[in-house]
Amino acid sequence: MDFVVQLTINSIIAGSIYTLMALGFNLTYGATKFFNLAHGVMATIAGYTVFYFSSQPLYISIPAGIFAAGLVGYVLDRTIYSPLRKRKASNMVLLVASLGVFTALESLIALKFSSQHQSLPEIFASVPTFNLFGGSFTAIHLLIVASAAVCALGLHALLKYTLFGKAINAVSDDEEVSKIVGINTNRLMGQVFFVGSAIAGVAGILVGFDTVIIPIMGMPLLLKGIIAAIIGGLGSLWGGVLGAFLLGFVENFGIWHISGEWKDVIAFGLLILFLIFRPQGILKKS
Amino acid sequence: MDYIFHLTTLSSIFAILAIGLNLVMGYTGLLSVAHAAFYGIGAYASAILMRSQGMNFFVAMGLGVLLSMGVALLIGLVLSRFDGDYYALASLGFNVIVFGIMLNWEELTRGPLGIPGIGKPKLGDHTIFSNMEYFFFTLFFLIIIYLLARLITRSSFGRTLKGIREDETALQVFGYKTVYFKLAVFVIAAGMAAVAGSLYGSYITYIDPKTFIVMESIMIISMIILGGLANNRGAVIGATFFVLLPELLRFAGFPPDIAAHMRQIVYGVLLILLMMYRPQGLFGEYKL
Repeated sequence: MDFVVQLTINSIIAGSIYTLMALGFNLTYGATKFFNLAHGVMATIAGYTVFYFSSQPLYISIPAGIFAAGLVGYVLDRTIYSPLRKRKASNMVLLVASLGVFTALESLIALKFSSQHQSLPEIFASVPTFNLFGGSFTAIHLLIVASAAVCALGLHALLKYTLFGKAINAVSDDEEVSKIVGINTNRLMGQVFFVGSAIAGVAGILVGFDTVIIPIMGMPLLLKGIIAAIIGGLGSLWGGVLGAFLLGFVENFGIWHISGEWKDVIAFGLLILFLIFRPQGILKKS
Repeated sequence: MDYIFHLTTLSSIFAILAIGLNLVMGYTGLLSVAHAAFYGIGAYASAILMRSQGMNFFVAMGLGVLLSMGVALLIGLVLSRFDGDYYALASLGFNVIVFGIMLNWEELTRGPLGIPGIGKPKLGDHTIFSNMEYFFFTLFFLIIIYLLARLITRSSFGRTLKGIREDETALQVFGYKTVYFKLAVFVIAAGMAAVAGSLYGSYITYIDPKTFIVMESIMIISMIILGGLANNRGAVIGATFFVLLPELLRFAGFPPDIAAHMRQIVYGVLLILLMMYRPQGLFGEYKL
């Protein structure tokens, strides 16, 4: 019984991390309609920025990390994706370009900080551990779940109640018409990239506090985020959250009787099942 | 001199991989990120058969190719339903799954330890051992694969593939069952990749799962994008460039671990620049 409780807790923690990745991915996908493979490396950038500012207090280094991820996302859109979009490049071209961005940035980080893993400074003097129905989790895990909730609700409010959010929705629905009604779509895309990348940055920093940071952490995070987004319904905020938790649960309960190394196989198996039987995801975007 | 033959052998192996993937990606327009999986299946199958059954290289390679094509048929049945981004993502998923099996099915593959001591091919009583002999041996296969690819791309089958790339719906209207064509080319490419895998395992005499990760698939994609989509010669040139580049960086005096990162950075920047200024690659006939 304790085992089931622990697996449930692990699933919720994993689901929260995937939620953060899926939120940002869905946001940029909704506006630009291409698979931005460089999204994962934004998490890495944020984690390493916090590491770089290790000597500074956390209330400086954490916002700096989130801001750095957002800024890199913004700059990438301005310098690479936006010119490509203007040239009416196909989604494949954008996908391959983002693959190039991912490869180059990941290796740049490895070049600067070595390819070994690093530890972030302690967030708590001694990490408090909690027990619940026989399962245990740390304060950092609590922070992960809380951050995912805050980001999901915050993004929901942003999209629903602000003019900026409404403009994003408009662009996601139809870019051409948005232009006609006077939305500066090009500038808006840059801002969307900033917000989406910053949320990925939150995920990267939290993973760093929970375990370690390593230059190659971006790709696995991104893939889980994409899987969550697709099985939830691409472009839909709450679909992504649902997909993330479904993925977290299936992955963690899937390895109940087998070795944990099979997690990735299970995750992609789930994706392929969805692609065959329900390619539009759990929540069809209305 | 030995070193030069080493590089040309590796270039030839990657050229075989690139030619195969070019059929799927360049001619049919499907971005498959699973090529390294079939490369790995070929390498593992022939290595295991040669070591545990004492099989002859050619028989082992043949069985490896058949196995790889069989797996491709099963995977392709699923993949052929998709196109565009979803094709890329689903094929990437299959690469991750095949990698996971290589890594975790330890009874068969020895897991992360890999398989050492893979035998060299024998022609009659003669064992192909020196780098020079192995290069000509590999070149022989490269030429066969190249001619085969040329035959395919110039046949009516090849023209149908190009038709699928340009407008799949239009071909369906004309009564072509495009799914079968997509499936067939995928299976052929997997067979070619398995040939490269057998050659690689026997040449290096050691394989482990890390050689067949998603990143390797991405590298093969980069090769044909650089060389040029839908151009067999471009695929060979792209593969040669990508094998030689790290060596050039090493000669430029970078230590190995830094050179490895530099290489990745060059690959990445190259992909970005190509997409921005020349999306059909150097000699390509098709833009993504």
